Amino acid sequence: MATEPPEVGQAQPTRLGLRTRISLSFAVGGLMVTAALAGATLVLTRQQLIDSREQAAAAFAVTNATRLSNQLTFESTVEDLAPIVDSMTKIEGSQRLIRVRNDWLPSPELDREDLPQVLLDRVAGGKAGQLRSEVAGQTRLVVGIPLQSFDAAYFAVVGLADLDDALTDLRIILMGAGAGATLLAAFLGWWVSQRTLLPLRRVRGAAEAIAGGRLDTRLEAQSDPDLDRLAESFNEMAMALEERIRRDARFASEVSHELRSPLTTIMTTVGVLEARREELSPRSLTALDLLSRDLERFNRLVAELLEISGYDAGAASLDLTEVQVAQFLGASARTAGPVPMHLPNYAEGLVIRIDKRRLARAMANLLDNAHRYGGGPTAIILERDSGCLRIAVEDEGPGIPEAERTAIFDRFSRGAAGGQRGDDGGTGLGLSLVQEDIRLHGGRVWVESRPDGHAGARFVLELPLRGFEPE
Amino acid sequence: MAVRILTVEDDERIRTAVSLALEEEGWEVEETANGEDALVAFAQNPSDVVLIDIMLPGIDGFEVCRRIRRLGDVPIVMVTARSDSHDVVAGLEAGADDYLRKPFDPKELSARVRALLRRSRPSGSPAKMVVDQLEVIPDAGVVRLAGDEVHLTRTEFRLLVELASSPGKVMSREDLLERVWARDYFDDERLVDVHVRRLRTKIEPDPANPRYVVTVRGMGYKLQP
Repeated sequence: MATEPPEVGQAQPTRLGLRTRISLSFAVGGLMVTAALAGATLVLTRQQLIDSREQAAAAFAVTNATRLSNQLTFESTVEDLAPIVDSMTKIEGSQRLIRVRNDWLPSPELDREDLPQVLLDRVAGGKAGQLRSEVAGQTRLVVGIPLQSFDAAYFAVVGLADLDDALTDLRIILMGAGAGATLLAAFLGWWVSQRTLLPLRRVRGAAEAIAGGRLDTRLEAQSDPDLDRLAESFNEMAMALEERIRRDARFASEVSHELRSPLTTIMTTVGVLEARREELSPRSLTALDLLSRDLERFNRLVAELLEISGYDAGAASLDLTEVQVAQFLGASARTAGPVPMHLPNYAEGLVIRIDKRRLARAMANLLDNAHRYGGGPTAIILERDSGCLRIAVEDEGPGIPEAERTAIFDRFSRGAAGGQRGDDGGTGLGLSLVQEDIRLHGGRVWVESRPDGHAGARFVLELPLRGFEPE
Repeated sequence: MAVRILTVEDDERIRTAVSLALEEEGWEVEETANGEDALVAFAQNPSDVVLIDIMLPGIDGFEVCRRIRRLGDVPIVMVTARSDSHDVVAGLEAGADDYLRKPFDPKELSARVRALLRRSRPSGSPAKMVVDQLEVIPDAGVVRLAGDEVHLTRTEFRLLVELASSPGKVMSREDLLERVWARDYFDDERLVDVHVRRLRTKIEPDPANPRYVVTVRGMGYKLQP
């Protein structure tokens, strides 16, 4: 049973990136710190302002009460107070109420009902008092001073509204500063994460370079001990990988030599026997023909296996030379027994840089394939699209069923003709090698139905022109 | 006199099989198993063609090739077991005339040797060709530059004759592969490139800036009239 292997470290699609998260954390941290500081500042400032206002109000009330007591006589009535009151010190927004025996001198806005009962009682008891209270819909400071000798009392009411205005201004300033600090923290977070992730980006770059075939890519030593460990581990991994790939390539090359040597002897001796056919008995001739036919197949199989192992070991590289497309296709068509070619006019002057050996092998494989399974190639067609060149090989065989069009490029795949494949002389590696050869050029290969509606397969090689134009 | 071929191959079975195949063609074969023996054998009795395997114990095939080349212009075929072009190019740089990849068909081997032994000039070419200060006499195998005789290997000479037989006409690498080496279109064009380079060092007053054998981008080479 095949079970899906769990993917390691797969990112959730909705998850935010590390940098966004670090920036957000910094912003939230900045916001919290500035909010706490701003709150404390507001509370303390408010207290300070109220305290000083209270002190000022008390001092002002005492001054005025003293002046009042100096001018009062035992006979004074509320009506006598007007000139005294006019000469009193005033502070911004303050008002006064004065009681003489049972008469009250109201202020323009307030009268005795507005004064808090607690303070009235306290002053009536002969004690001075001060409290903050809601008076006529506003928070005000009320100071009461008894003038007991004259059975009178002086009340000062001081507004606090201007303090609220000042505090509102302060609040706006603090909020602005908080927002600024939050933005600054977010930016700091972004910058820090950028710097922190820089080594990771280098690791990514190095990993991509290795994946791209530059196996000797290494990371520089880092000044930070944690990052240095990462760089070291990465380099060890890269070294192990390089060593392994080199070993595989070396092994492939040794295997190649070990296989080619006996094959050389066998091919040469079979060639000598072929040259002396007339000396052989009919039974020996039959044996020789069997030997020759399978030797050819074996030779091809070894060559293709070695090529494939070269690809697997990552040792395959392009060997680019300038090739005239029309000439190249013409030569390919000739080796497959004449195949009609459909070349557009521009093909004659078209020169591209390709690995001639690999592309020639790919063409030979497709043409050979058409001979084996498609009743022979019927056409080689060249097309040019934006940025790419397509070479199609058509045959008139049964075609490839839709379901097998991918699998046919697998190694040792058995297609529709699989039943008799053992006898057809094919190696089962040809098409997968075509795919490797074309991929190495950055192109692709596929099979489709013939567009003209006739039965048969159409194999298409698509090569990108970019990077393969002549220098 | 029969054509004599010197083979250098450390694998005894391959060596014997190759001798069998070459003798089938009526050629005489002298077998050696390493580079040192080959150099001694060649010095004592120079052969008409040398077949050198690259992977040898002791001095390698490239070195054997270089030393034999210093002794004369005998045609040399390098045999490589690698499928890439690295050995081919290195072998040609060492002075080889042609190469063969293992495993090879004995018919291919004979074809290579025969192509190297060919001496005839292209049909229809004149007996003497003169371009500027360069003078080529195909039948005599003589090349003169400003009156002085230039020493070319047989392959270099045939390459020059092909180019000189139609001055000004561009010849593609593939054409030259076929005419000079009897190779087909899909063989390694570096065979041509390396030989052109070597030819230039011998006949060009300034090889980096060729006067005679000129490269035509994307097309091939021509002899500038």
